[in-house]
Amino acid sequence: MSIKKIITLLMLCFLFTCSYTNTYAGGEIGGKTETTLNKKVDTKDLSGVNLWIAELYNNDKILYAVVVTLVMATLGSIMAFGTDLVLKYFGMNVSKISHSE
Amino acid sequence: MDIFNIYLPVAEIEFNALLLFLIGFCVGVLGGFFGVGGGWIVTPALNIFGFHMAYAIGTDLANIFGQSIGATKKHHKMGNIDWKLGGISIIASIVGLEIGSQVVLILEKAGDVGSIVRWCYLFLMFGLGSLMFYDYFSNNPKKLKNKSVEQNTSAGSKQKTQKGSIAQKLHKIKLPPMISFPASGIKSVSLWIVIFVFLFTGFLSGFLGVGGGFIRMPALVYLIGVPTVIAVGTDLMSVLFAGAYGCFTYALKGRVEFVAAFIMLIGASIGAQIGATAIKYIKGYGIRILFAIMIVLAGCSIALEQIYKISEIPIFQSVAGIVLMGTAVIMTFIIITRLILEAKKETVKY
Repeated sequence: MSIKKIITLLMLCFLFTCSYTNTYAGGEIGGKTETTLNKKVDTKDLSGVNLWIAELYNNDKILYAVVVTLVMATLGSIMAFGTDLVLKYFGMNVSKISHSE
Repeated sequence: MDIFNIYLPVAEIEFNALLLFLIGFCVGVLGGFFGVGGGWIVTPALNIFGFHMAYAIGTDLANIFGQSIGATKKHHKMGNIDWKLGGISIIASIVGLEIGSQVVLILEKAGDVGSIVRWCYLFLMFGLGSLMFYDYFSNNPKKLKNKSVEQNTSAGSKQKTQKGSIAQKLHKIKLPPMISFPASGIKSVSLWIVIFVFLFTGFLSGFLGVGGGFIRMPALVYLIGVPTVIAVGTDLMSVLFAGAYGCFTYALKGRVEFVAAFIMLIGASIGAQIGATAIKYIKGYGIRILFAIMIVLAGCSIALEQIYKISEIPIFQSVAGIVLMGTAVIMTFIIITRLILEAKKETVKY
């Protein structure tokens, strides 16, 4: 495994552990539950994707966080790939560049 | 424009989808080009247009994470990322960030921390901007060429520090252990210096409550002596990890508006690719001067915000928002125009 992959993996583990402990540590102080985690949105007039998102948000914040993070990563990658193809089509192909000030 | 209005189920507000796309696009171009997250543009912009502050921050972080994936990949492809330096930067910055946020908590107990933070923010932005302007007009190789001053800027050389620069002085401190960063062209520098620099930039991030890209990028160039494009790429890598952490933790707290982040990311991903591609055509000093202009204008916006806080005259807050968004739009326009012109020149050459 290359050094880049090891750094990436270690960083992701570290950051996700931090975020998890950070969120729940606050919730346990004084035996009270974290209020931000209990917030519910109104699903009365919602339908389709909006309803699905709202229900996911209301029912399971951990799953909501995982879905948001994964969707952002996937969409970011797909859009980057697509835009790269379009830029290549217009002749703006990028490869390793020489650095000059 | 009402036809673009959509309902955002988590923030429970109506918002213009086209506006979200445009904000995302502008910040994407700036992020890909300068190696910054752009939180200091998106968060106030969303807040001005009706988002609650907590949702504005969370949604912005989700967008930063998504947009920086593509831009980091592109910079990696161009050889602009120093992974070793980036790894140290992330660890030391997190420790510094924690110290900074603890100092804020201590000051909060003592009195009005908000005003102190804003003054520090102002000082930092104008200070950094002035330093970069000074550097551009005194060290720019193009300007010095006429004076026949020998510059260490040959295309093959990666060590781009000016004679007598802060970075070069710091490189002379031989405090073991010494470390090298071949990807950045740095042969030997004390590990303690590198850690101290990132602890300091991390501290400022935590103290000011910002991602820190706009502090880290100049610090990499001026304090560690990294070539500008590698500083941009390496900083973007740090932004990616900070964005991943921020996106997850804010979503866990229920403060990411999924639909808004999704739409913004479509614009931001396109913008980030354009911004990262523009790096190929604009040289280091060109990037630095644009960066300097941008942070000085952003500083003006914060100054107006500060005047609003003191005087409580609403017009100052509106003008602050206009200056901020105007800066983002103008910078985006300049970068895209330069990219198109330079790409055209290249096409004609072949």
